[in-house]
Amino acid sequence: MTPKPTPGPARQAQYRRPDASMSLLINIMDHSLDEGYAEATARRAVRGQGTALSRAPGARLVVMLGVGLIAAVVTMAAIQVRIAAPQAEKERRDLIARIHTRETTADQLEKEVAALRDQVDAMQDKNLTPDEIERVNLLALLTGADPVEGPGLKVVVDDAAQSDGADGANKDPRAAEDLANGRVLDRDLQRVVDGLWQAGAEAIGINGQRLTALSAIRAAGASILVDNRPLSPPYTILAIGNGKKMQVAFQDSSDGRYLHALSERYGIRATFATQKSIKLPAAIGIQLRAAQPAGAPPAPAQSAGPTQAPGPSGTPQTGTVSPTPTSGAPATPGSKAPATPRNSTSPPKNGKSATGAATAHPSNNAAARDSAPTPEEGLA
Amino acid sequence: MIAVLGLALGVVVGFFARPVIPHELEPYLPIAVVAALDAVFGGLRALLDGIFDDKVFVVSFLSNVVVAALIVFLGDKLGVGAQLSTGVVVVLGIRIFSNAAAIRRHVFRA
Repeated sequence: MTPKPTPGPARQAQYRRPDASMSLLINIMDHSLDEGYAEATARRAVRGQGTALSRAPGARLVVMLGVGLIAAVVTMAAIQVRIAAPQAEKERRDLIARIHTRETTADQLEKEVAALRDQVDAMQDKNLTPDEIERVNLLALLTGADPVEGPGLKVVVDDAAQSDGADGANKDPRAAEDLANGRVLDRDLQRVVDGLWQAGAEAIGINGQRLTALSAIRAAGASILVDNRPLSPPYTILAIGNGKKMQVAFQDSSDGRYLHALSERYGIRATFATQKSIKLPAAIGIQLRAAQPAGAPPAPAQSAGPTQAPGPSGTPQTGTVSPTPTSGAPATPGSKAPATPRNSTSPPKNGKSATGAATAHPSNNAAARDSAPTPEEGLA
Repeated sequence: MIAVLGLALGVVVGFFARPVIPHELEPYLPIAVVAALDAVFGGLRALLDGIFDDKVFVVSFLSNVVVAALIVFLGDKLGVGAQLSTGVVVVLGIRIFSNAAAIRRHVFRA
């Protein structure tokens, strides 16, 4: 029995192409030309016509329209892309311009506030007894309502040297963690400021921003905000007080050792310098939160005093207008008078201001600092 | 000759009409461009093969655009618009490349 030749399909299976399993790809590659062209040519051959282009002018028109349509689509797309890019850029510029205008407006309003505050101060001075003026001035110094000048200590804290190029494009991802470690964080600044208060600073400013008992030092993304204003490194912390004493006291404190450890371990740079004269501006955005009528205390001349006090208890007869909570108030001579802010009843040394902390932002760590500033000769 | 005239006409129309493309149609523009390129290369190859046909050229272009847009539209509705447009671009891209290779063989004999 001779073996019969196997039927068709099985034979074909023997000669299967090696790439048969990739039929989809083969199909796409082999039939890249529309099959309509071949069919149209076959039809024409049957009818005995020539090529399409040799036919009537109608064919030429159709080709022209087709090519024109394609060209129009491509041109439209190109224009669309070109238009879209500058538009995004324009929107961005618009936004930036708007931010700048708002910033200017805010600055202007701040200036206005300062001018008005000066006016209030002048009216206060006119209507208060010398004793009370002294008290108000002292409170204003401690709360940051007035600009101050005096000798003190200058602490400059900066990111570690290698993190200078952190914003550059050629960042090595492996070095990113090192860079992050070498960056001064908000809590570092908080500890430095706390340490300075503890070391006897009477007034502190960071990069020209006066700190008050309610100032918040916190982080937003990569930048540090003090009272919601962004700072950029290096951070210059100016503290008014006895410079040398403060430096020694600070460096001996736990916060000083913390800063030292930071520079040892992560390369964060910190320099100290005593200064003969430091000028600190008044704190911005101080609000009057508590005031007491001047009825009971022995201050008869005050009923006509400045009454622009929009405080919670703001009766028209507000007597002594003193900017709110001062954690340092307990140590002042004013604490014996009845018209001092309420929180002056809190025990000294543990200066957590009762009214202040309650109204402060949750992350307002700086408000909870231990502080017991004593008025020293440094205040101008 | 006639094709060059049509090309110039199309560019001029596209340029000066400054068509405001509705926002909903914007995602389909790239697809339309790829389909148009596919039609151009297909037509050119057919011309060189000597089997060019005007009707097939125009109809294949229009139908390719419509089908591609339909696929992307459906994909958008189903939440896979990006993947489906990638698929359309891949298929048309392969066709463009193999047509371009055929044209190259015709022109350069290589």
